Amino acid sequence: MKVIFKQTLLASVVAVTTAAQAEVNIASWGGAYTASQQKAYQETYKDPDSINFINYNGGLGEVRTQVESGSVTWDIVDVLPSEARVGCDEGLFEELDRSAFEKAPDGTSMDDDIMVDVPNDCVVPQIFWSYVPFYQEGTFSGAQPTTIADFFNVKKFPGKRGIHTWPNALIEMALLADGVAIKDVYKVMSTPQGIDRAFAMLDKIKDHAVFWSSGAKPLELVQSGEVAMSLAYNGRIGAAVLSEGAKFVTVWDGQVLEEEWLVMVKGAPNKEAAMDFLVHASSTASQAEQAKYINYGPMRASAFDVMKKGEPWFHNGKNIMEHMPNRPEVMARSVVASPDWWADYGDSIGERYTAWMGQ
Amino acid sequence: MSTAPATIDGPLLTADGVPLKASLEKSLRRSKLRALLLVAPPLLFLIFLFVIPIGNMLTRSVDDKLINNVLPQTFEAFEAWDKESEPSEAMFEALYNDLKSAEKTDIGKASVRMNYALPGWRSLVKRTARKIKKMEPPYKEAFVKADDRWLDNTYWLSLGIMKDKRTLGYYWNAIDRTYDFDKNVIHQPDERKVYNLLWWRTILVSILVTIACLILAYPVAYLLATLPMRISNLLMICVLMPFWTSLLVRIVAWMIMLQQNGVVNDTLVAAGIISDDNRLAMMYNFNGTIIVMTQILLPFMILPIYSVMKTIPPSLMKAAQNLGATPTLAFIRVYMPQTIPGIGAGCILVFIVAIGYYITPELVGGKDGRLIGNMVAYHMQRSLNWGLAAAMGTILLGVILLFYWVYDKIIGIDNMKMG
Repeated sequence: MKVIFKQTLLASVVAVTTAAQAEVNIASWGGAYTASQQKAYQETYKDPDSINFINYNGGLGEVRTQVESGSVTWDIVDVLPSEARVGCDEGLFEELDRSAFEKAPDGTSMDDDIMVDVPNDCVVPQIFWSYVPFYQEGTFSGAQPTTIADFFNVKKFPGKRGIHTWPNALIEMALLADGVAIKDVYKVMSTPQGIDRAFAMLDKIKDHAVFWSSGAKPLELVQSGEVAMSLAYNGRIGAAVLSEGAKFVTVWDGQVLEEEWLVMVKGAPNKEAAMDFLVHASSTASQAEQAKYINYGPMRASAFDVMKKGEPWFHNGKNIMEHMPNRPEVMARSVVASPDWWADYGDSIGERYTAWMGQ
Repeated sequence: MSTAPATIDGPLLTADGVPLKASLEKSLRRSKLRALLLVAPPLLFLIFLFVIPIGNMLTRSVDDKLINNVLPQTFEAFEAWDKESEPSEAMFEALYNDLKSAEKTDIGKASVRMNYALPGWRSLVKRTARKIKKMEPPYKEAFVKADDRWLDNTYWLSLGIMKDKRTLGYYWNAIDRTYDFDKNVIHQPDERKVYNLLWWRTILVSILVTIACLILAYPVAYLLATLPMRISNLLMICVLMPFWTSLLVRIVAWMIMLQQNGVVNDTLVAAGIISDDNRLAMMYNFNGTIIVMTQILLPFMILPIYSVMKTIPPSLMKAAQNLGATPTLAFIRVYMPQTIPGIGAGCILVFIVAIGYYITPELVGGKDGRLIGNMVAYHMQRSLNWGLAAAMGTILLGVILLFYWVYDKIIGIDNMKMG
């Protein structure tokens, strides 16, 4: 009797401690992307069960609600470049101790190892992703689309075009297609004439446009033949090609690269555990590990080296480098999105784009 | 036990000698208190989860306090400025003092607000604030050195839009108008006109969906109410099944049916009714929104009409026919008028739900099926312009109240029957 009692007591103590253990909640985008984070960061973490991924649909609305109402339930959020800046400016994120993060194998500090300028002390490196055009093999007979101008040319490559319902990347692409040099894109975009020029280009595909707003949609549109070509997140295309054997062809020209950061929500309930996890997730090894499961490009240059040496790096034995949006060959033909430009002009361009869609 | 003497002049007393009036009041008060306690949970629930958040959102739609609290000296200096001459050193000094003493996060929030008034403010303030610690007089020079956009008077002029602690600017923005620098209301430039179109489309879609629901629901409700129990129960399940099915499942089902290479188009092509190049565009546009919303909201129309029809005795129709009416006449003159409370309830329900819809339009609307609800969601989640979202929400509430008022005038709200 006594033994049973003791065992029960012990069992309940164990149960209580497990339940009380800090659980770090991470809001991320879902799908193959979150799956890659779970594989690369969570499963390699010393305490995988303490990490809990939640799907969200982007935007800081939810985070602001949590912070302002004082009932924060998310610890870490996966955010876009403009949100990484606005959120930190508005005090929605914690500023993090930069010295706590792991250095690259050659001793470079994390911030210097990141391929772009680090905008503030709130952000922890994640990946580069891009908006890029693609089509299904066999869609076009004869010449195949190879440039961003081909995407906007419905005469040469007939058929509908899938584009997203917000203007980011489209303005840049339209100007590139119109012959603006990559280095001048944001200079041209900062003038009213430049914006008019971009919209004139967009007009050319307007009557052929099918609009999407969720990342899985463009694949569906292209697969079903609803559209001939579509823009999509490069990782979605890569996932379909690498893992499901889809016959998609990516047009590696005029893509627009975007940063993706992890941030800690201000007043996160499990600050210490969250910080520990962030240090783990941002290490060179974890960053490279993620590329085994998805073709988004790690932000840390040192992770890139690990992958290059480790080819075939993808988990099912395929080469990953040719699907990386920030590999050197395509970087020369890509625009890195300027979050500062979009933070200034995003709202007004957004309204104009919405008006354009509705006309 | 002695009873109280009943005198004619004195007040009426109860058995224990207390005046009857006081005793009655006491017991009444107690029961009132008990009633209040009983309704307290739902009342508190309503206050905390409905009244306070909505009140909060309503205040947001006119609130412009933050920026005035962050930049008090700047606005003072701005008021003293003649708006024509070059901005003076005093103005830059005021701005310097404000930026220096403000919290970093407040500057961030203020710069976001200022960017609504004039795109470019955000990066200008941010870049300047970053260098503020090292600045020394003369401040004008130091500011220009930090960012040469300070030479541009437009930024200073735009402060005129934000100088008051209350603003109607968000409301004006929500109907495609804006303030000029002197706070006169002007039209937005044509290429930025977004919202009026969406307002009209939202109302049009809501009305069309309500009418479509009514036309489809009336016969179904009639069958439900008049068929023998066994068949009508089966029919009822058919009505309720979609109602219980997840919204997303139903939307995706419609996508499969209606898309370009969907079941309907394939069938029509196979039957030779349309040619392969002329497949009907029924999805990702206005039509898609109407079709899917009608199907989703149909039960909201069927159920109230059914519940009213159920209470109409069948003998009335027979009596009317006995008195010489044809079946059609009896139906129109006797049956239909009695179903009006159900029709009213159904229409109001469907209309109110439809006018705030956004998931369905988001998924099947494409470029010309998007409604004002999508913009509210966009400004809540993406652009974080909660002031504008709140203003739109308030206008939406106003539109609903307006339709409610019209309904009350025409049919009378007492006639409404929810079931």
